[in-house]
Amino acid sequence: MHFPDIVTIAPFIAAILVAAAILVADFIFPGRKVPALAVTFLGLALIAALVLLTGQTGSEAFATAPGAKGSYIVDPLTTFLDLLFVAIVALTMAFAPDYLEERGLPVPEFGATLVFAMSGAMLLAASGDLLVLFLGLELMVLPGYILAGYHKDDGYSTEGAIKYFLLGSFSSAIFLFGLAFVWGMTGTTNIAAVAAYMGQVNSGALPLTPGLGMGLAFMTTGVAFKIAAVPFHYWTPDAYQGSPTPVTGYLSVGPKVGAFALIIRLFAGALGDLAIDWTMVFMVLAALTMTLGNLVALQQDNVKRMLAYSSIAHTGYMLVGFAAFGAGNIRGMEGLLYYGAAYAFMNLGAFAVVAALQKRPGITSNLTTFAGLVRREPALAWLLTLFLLSLTGIPPTAGFFGKFYVILAAIEAGQTSTYGGWMTALAVLTMLNAAAAAFYYLRVVVYMFMRDPGEELPTLRHGRLVWTGLAVSTVLTIVLGLFPNVLLTIVGNAAAVFAG
Amino acid sequence: MTGLTGLPLVTIVTFLPALGALVVAFMPSSRPNLARSMALGFALAAWVVSLIMLVGFVATDHADQFTESTPWIPMFGINYAVGVDGLSMVLVVLTTTLTAISILASFSPIQTRVKEYMASFLVLEVGMIGVFVARDLFLFYIFWELVLVPMYLIIGIWGGKNRIYATIKFVLYTLVGSLLMLVAILATAFTFQTAQAAAGAANPWDGAFSVAALSQAGASGMFGGTFGFLAFGAFFLAFAIKVPMFPFHTWLPDAHVEAPTAGSVILAGVLLKLGGYGFIRFALPFFPEAAHTWAPFIIVLSLIGIIYGAIVALVQPDLKKLVAYSSVSHMGFVTLGIFVFQEQGMQGAILQMVNHGLITGALFLLVGVIYERTHDRTIARMGGLGGPTPVYAAAFGFFVFASVGLPGLSGFVGEFLTLLGTFTVYPAAAAVATFVMILAAGYLLWMVQRVLFGDLSEFLRGLGHHLTDMKPIEALTLVPLGALVVVFGLWPGLILNVIAGSVETALAAVQSAGPIALGLWR
Repeated sequence: MHFPDIVTIAPFIAAILVAAAILVADFIFPGRKVPALAVTFLGLALIAALVLLTGQTGSEAFATAPGAKGSYIVDPLTTFLDLLFVAIVALTMAFAPDYLEERGLPVPEFGATLVFAMSGAMLLAASGDLLVLFLGLELMVLPGYILAGYHKDDGYSTEGAIKYFLLGSFSSAIFLFGLAFVWGMTGTTNIAAVAAYMGQVNSGALPLTPGLGMGLAFMTTGVAFKIAAVPFHYWTPDAYQGSPTPVTGYLSVGPKVGAFALIIRLFAGALGDLAIDWTMVFMVLAALTMTLGNLVALQQDNVKRMLAYSSIAHTGYMLVGFAAFGAGNIRGMEGLLYYGAAYAFMNLGAFAVVAALQKRPGITSNLTTFAGLVRREPALAWLLTLFLLSLTGIPPTAGFFGKFYVILAAIEAGQTSTYGGWMTALAVLTMLNAAAAAFYYLRVVVYMFMRDPGEELPTLRHGRLVWTGLAVSTVLTIVLGLFPNVLLTIVGNAAAVFAG
Repeated sequence: MTGLTGLPLVTIVTFLPALGALVVAFMPSSRPNLARSMALGFALAAWVVSLIMLVGFVATDHADQFTESTPWIPMFGINYAVGVDGLSMVLVVLTTTLTAISILASFSPIQTRVKEYMASFLVLEVGMIGVFVARDLFLFYIFWELVLVPMYLIIGIWGGKNRIYATIKFVLYTLVGSLLMLVAILATAFTFQTAQAAAGAANPWDGAFSVAALSQAGASGMFGGTFGFLAFGAFFLAFAIKVPMFPFHTWLPDAHVEAPTAGSVILAGVLLKLGGYGFIRFALPFFPEAAHTWAPFIIVLSLIGIIYGAIVALVQPDLKKLVAYSSVSHMGFVTLGIFVFQEQGMQGAILQMVNHGLITGALFLLVGVIYERTHDRTIARMGGLGGPTPVYAAAFGFFVFASVGLPGLSGFVGEFLTLLGTFTVYPAAAAVATFVMILAAGYLLWMVQRVLFGDLSEFLRGLGHHLTDMKPIEALTLVPLGALVVVFGLWPGLILNVIAGSVETALAAVQSAGPIALGLWR
C-alpha cells in the first residue's frame, strides 16, 4: 500500500489534534474532568484506529511507506510501537485522575501534556531522518519535564523536575552534538543514506574517521542518558521519586520505550552495519545497568524509589536483547520488543497500585505503608503481588516470558556469533540478577501479607477508571505470559524490518 | 491415548485443585469451615482421580501413558504435553494423598485467613502434580516455579516466629538454582534445534522442548563434551538445592522449623522429591556422559549429607529440627542410589523417595500434635509423654521405627536396596552409608527415650488437662500413612512393579555411556 504523505502521517497529526482538543474541551467546560477524559479516551481510540488503518501489520509488508521524502517511515515496527504508546498513555490516563484530583491538580492539562508527549514518541518511532529523530525525542521529553514537576507546590516534585530537566537537556545537547558530527562526516541526515554510508565504512571503502567515531560516541552517550543506563542513570531515582506517582509510572515506561525506539532506529537502522563496533558497548552497558540497578534497589525502603531502581535493572534486561541483536540474532530484537510490551503493562500496573494507595495526600510510598495491606485492601494487595511476581519473572506471567525470550536470544547469539561465551555469560548474569531482584520485590509482598500494619490507615475508595485500568493490566500481564503466540507474531513482523 | 475412560485424566488431576483454589478464593471469609471442607473436597476429588489413573495404569507398558499433547507456542515447538510413566504415577498418587492429609491436618492448627491458606495449598498441589506429569521442558519449568509462590506464602504467613527469614531464604535458594537451570534448558533446546537444522529438518524447533525427543538425543550423545558438563551442572544445582544435598541444604532446617505442620509435611513429603525426580527424569537421560563425569562428586556429597545430617540431628534440641536434619540424611540415600547407575540402587532411591514422604510426613504430623498442645518443641522440656498419651506414644514409636529402618516396615526396603546397589559398585561407599544407619537408630531412639519415657516432666505436668491424647481427626491423618508404611514394607513389589519401566528407561542411556574426558577432570 502506498498513501499520500498526509495519510501516512495522519496518526501523528491526529495525536497533536487530540491534545489540542483536550485543551479546547477544558475551555468549554472549565475545571470539569469528565469532558476532558471523554475527549482523551475517544481521541486515543481514534489514533489507535488510524494507526491500524494506515499502518503496516502484515508480514508481507515491509514494503515500507515512506512519507515526506523518506523522513517518516511507517513499517510494522512503527505500528507496533505506536499502538504500545497509545496503550501506555491510555492506562496512565486511567490511573492518574484519582490521584490528581485529591491534590487539586488539573486533569485536562495533564491529559493534553501526556498526549503531546505521545505524539513525540510516535514521531520517534516513525523517523527516517536523524533530525526528525531528534525532533521526536525533544517532543517526547519536554512534556515529561512538565509532568515531573506537575505537583508544583511540592518541593520534591519541583526538585525532581529540575534535575530531570537539566540532565535531560544536557544529554539532548550531547546527542545533538554527536548528530552534527555524523552529519558533517556523512553529509546527510537521512537514515537510509547514513546506513548506506556506514555500509561502505564497514566494507572498508570509506574510513572510520575520528570525527565519525566521536559522533558515534556522543550519540551513544546521549542515548544512554535517555534510557538511564548505568553509569548515566543518576537523574532517575530523584526524578522518579519526586514526581507524582502516576507520572512516575508513565516516566518509567513511556519515555523508556520511546528511547528504545530511538536506539532501534539509530543503531539498528542507521548504524546497523557497524554492529561489530557497538555490540560490545551494549553488552557492557547491559551488564552494568542490570547489576547496579538491582544492587541499589536492594537497599531501598521506599517502594517508589525501589521501583525506580528496578526500572534501571529492567533497562538492562532489554539491553541484553539489543546486544543479542547486535551480535546478529534477530530474536534479540523480538525479545526486546516483547519485553518492552510486557514491562510496560506490569510496571504501569505496579505503579497504579502504589498511586491508588497514595490517593490521600500525605501517605508516603515507604514500605511501612504496605504493612498489612492484605487486610486493608485485599484486592490491591493481590494485584500488586501479581505485578511484582511478573517483574520478578515468575511464570506464568508476561515478565517471565519476556525474560525467557531475551535469554533465549542471548544464548542463541552465544552459540552462533563471534561473541560466544561472553553472550552466554551475559545470559547467566541476567538470571542471577533476576534472582537478586526477587529479594526486593518479595520484600514488598512480605510487608503486605506477613507484617501487621504499624498505624491504622483508612481504606480508600477507588474510581471505576482505576479498576478498569488495573483489570486491563492484569489481563494483559497474564495473557502475555500464558499465550504469547499473538504478540510473538506481531513482534516477529516488527523485528523483521531489520532482518538480513 | 487418554486411557480407559477417554477423559484427559492427567489434565483433570492437575487442574482440579486449581479449580478448587478458585472456588475457595471466592468464598466468604466469614465462613472458614466452608472453605476448609471445600478444599478437602477438591483434594479428595484429585486423589480419587489419581487412583483411577493408578487402576488404569498398565505396569507392563513402559511408555508414557495417559498422554496428551496440544501445540502451545508452535514457533519454538513448545507443546502442552503431559503424561505419566511409573515413576510419575507413584509420585502423583503420593502428592494427592499427602495433600489431602495435610489439608485435613490443617483444620484445627490454622485459624487465621483460612480460605487464603486453603487456596494456597491447592495451588501448591497444582504445581507439584504438574512437575511430575509435564512432558515438555517449558511446561515443566512453569510448574516448577509455580510451586515456589504458594510455599512462600504458606511459610511466610502461617509460619512460626522467624518465618520471614526462613521463607525468603527458601525462595532465594530455590530461585537461584532454577534460574540457572532455565539457562541450561534454553541452551539444551537450542543445541537440539541447531542439530535438527543441520540435519535438514523442516521445523528444527520441533521437539526442542520435548522430554522424549531430548532424552533420545541425549542417549545418542548430542549433549556431550564441555556443553553437557556445564548444562548438567546447572540442572544439578537446581535439583541439588531442592533435594537438598549437602552443602545446599541450609535452607531446609529453617524452612521446616518455621513452616506450619502441614507445610512441613508437604515440604518433606513432596517438595524434596521434585529434586530426585528431576535427576531421574531430566538430568540422567539428557546428559548421560556428564552424569558419569559428575557421579563420583555427587556420591561423595551424598555420603557427606548422609553422615552430616545424622550427626547434626543427634545434637538438635528441637524436635522439628531433628526431623529436618534426618531428612537431609535420608535424602542422601536417594541421590546415592540414583548415581550408582545400577538397577537396585535406582529402585531403592525411588522407594526411599516414597517412603521418606510417608514416614517423615507422619513424623512432622506427630511433632505438630505435640506442638498443638504445648506450643513448644524443645526435647529437653519433654519427658514421660508415654504415660498420659499412650495412643500418641504408640504412633510416635511406630513411625520412628519405620524411620530407623526396621525390617518389615517400608523404610527398610528402600535403604536396603540402595545399599545393595551401591555395594555392587562402590563397596566402600556402601560401608560408610551402612554405618550411618546405626547413627540414625541412635538419634531417633534417643529422641524417643527423651520424649516418651521417664517421669512426666515439670513442663508437661504444668499443662495439666491440656495434655490430651490424640484426637480422632489427628489419628485419621496418620492411619493411612501407617497402613501404607506396613504394606510397602511387606510388599515392596507393589511399587517396584509400577516403576520397573521407569528404572529401565532411566538407566538405559546412562549405563551405556562413559564419563567425558575433560581437560581438567578425568
